[in-house]
Amino acid sequence: MDAKQYILITGSSSGIGRETAIRLSSSYPLILNGREATRLEGTLRQCQNPERHVLWKCDLREVDQIEGSLRQILADKSAGVEGFVHCAGTLKILPLRSVERMDVRETMNVNFHSAVEVIRLLVRKKLNQNYLRGIVFISSIASLKGARGFSVYCASKGALDAFMRALAVELAPEVRVNSVLPGAIRTGMTENMLSDPDLSKRLESAYPLGMGHPGDIASAVEFLLSQSARWITGQQMVVDGGRTINVSA
Amino acid sequence: MSDASNPFSLQGRRVLVTGAASGIGLATSTLVSKLGGRLLAVDSNEEGLNRAIATFEGNHHETKCWDLRLVEQIPSWLRQAAAESGPFFGLVHAAGLSCIQPVRLLDPSCYRDVLLVNTEAALALVRGFQQKKAADPAGGSIVFLTSVMGLVGSAGAAAYGMSKGALVGLAKSLSVELAAKKIRVNCVAPGFVKTPMFDRLSGLWESEQRAQVEAAHPLGLGEPQDVANAVAFLLAETGRWITGSVMVVDGGYTAH
Repeated sequence: MDAKQYILITGSSSGIGRETAIRLSSSYPLILNGREATRLEGTLRQCQNPERHVLWKCDLREVDQIEGSLRQILADKSAGVEGFVHCAGTLKILPLRSVERMDVRETMNVNFHSAVEVIRLLVRKKLNQNYLRGIVFISSIASLKGARGFSVYCASKGALDAFMRALAVELAPEVRVNSVLPGAIRTGMTENMLSDPDLSKRLESAYPLGMGHPGDIASAVEFLLSQSARWITGQQMVVDGGRTINVSA
Repeated sequence: MSDASNPFSLQGRRVLVTGAASGIGLATSTLVSKLGGRLLAVDSNEEGLNRAIATFEGNHHETKCWDLRLVEQIPSWLRQAAAESGPFFGLVHAAGLSCIQPVRLLDPSCYRDVLLVNTEAALALVRGFQQKKAADPAGGSIVFLTSVMGLVGSAGAAAYGMSKGALVGLAKSLSVELAAKKIRVNCVAPGFVKTPMFDRLSGLWESEQRAQVEAAHPLGLGEPQDVANAVAFLLAETGRWITGSVMVVDGGYTAH
């Protein structure tokens, strides 16, 4: 018996993950991952067809616990996963001399290792047959450019994109794998950073098109998962209002 | 499909597409028409344009037969076209000539037209487009068709690569300069797509070479539709925060 096909979205409690879930909810059944039940329910309430979606509470910082938890939810719901969107991310802006082992571990676990773990499992026939068709990583322009205080975050996004390219080559032609690289967008994750008026002002002037919205990223994810993008794989899709190519003062 | 609340909609947007009579330009024009856009389809092949326009959805489209080698005249042609039928929101430069020659054969007379049509015409089109009365006050979206050969190299592709790589540099600086006018500028870089240009090219190959080129694409060779989809994404509201980018649509050709 064929399992019901879902798109699994990590980090769907807030920000880009939430907006992506809301956008995809009219077209696909979703598995909404997050750390907290109440915030996940908040996302679900804003989705179309709420009865079609599943909530999967799992803290991606605990990478060793992902396998058991994922196997459980897929078995409970007789679910197959045809698409995986990794929106979960953590950002700690710290000069390297202030970075503790725990900061490195947490950032790398949520941003990178958890994605590896989930995909490692989703390509196993006994767990997910041949259902997987598309993967989209929410990476960052931090994968392309450095910034003070961002060393570990940049590393985590760079790792994600290199992994993406290798996966694209290895899993072709059945599975397409791409990354979206957002510039600075107002979400819960960037709230602190953007509350600094100086930094906020500098950011606005560095961005030819100003700051972005989560919806801009959701559009790119929706496109990459769709048949319209059937010939796109192994790519970093930059959605950044022109930030990374702008060297004007 | 012309629902204005659909983020991919091009309802009410006038779009100029060069190279509209065949290949990627034709697929793009057809898709723009399906999304509710109003086309000015441009090509040097008048017969091809007449065949093309008969296939577009909707009936408020126009064609113009332009020789894009005449780059000094392009800005005034565009201004005139805007005066005739309204300002432009979208500009897609899909017209192009190929040039596959080893460097020892690349004297200027060989690649002059290639540079004019592929590269200089793009700048001339933008000069026309950004003039006050030619551009839609709501802003605009410009897409250049570059190529994977503008990003990676292959023996014999120097002239073509030069013409396409230049578009990337052009788009990046234009994107910064035109941002204040809310005009976005991006490139789409296709891999090897099954078009008449590709047929002419691969017709010169041994069957083994064609198989090799195909095998170099993890997802096989592309269709014009694949590229048109990416262009439309950039033209519509879905691309509202994307500028200065190179969107590679190549079946994984450059990923390995």
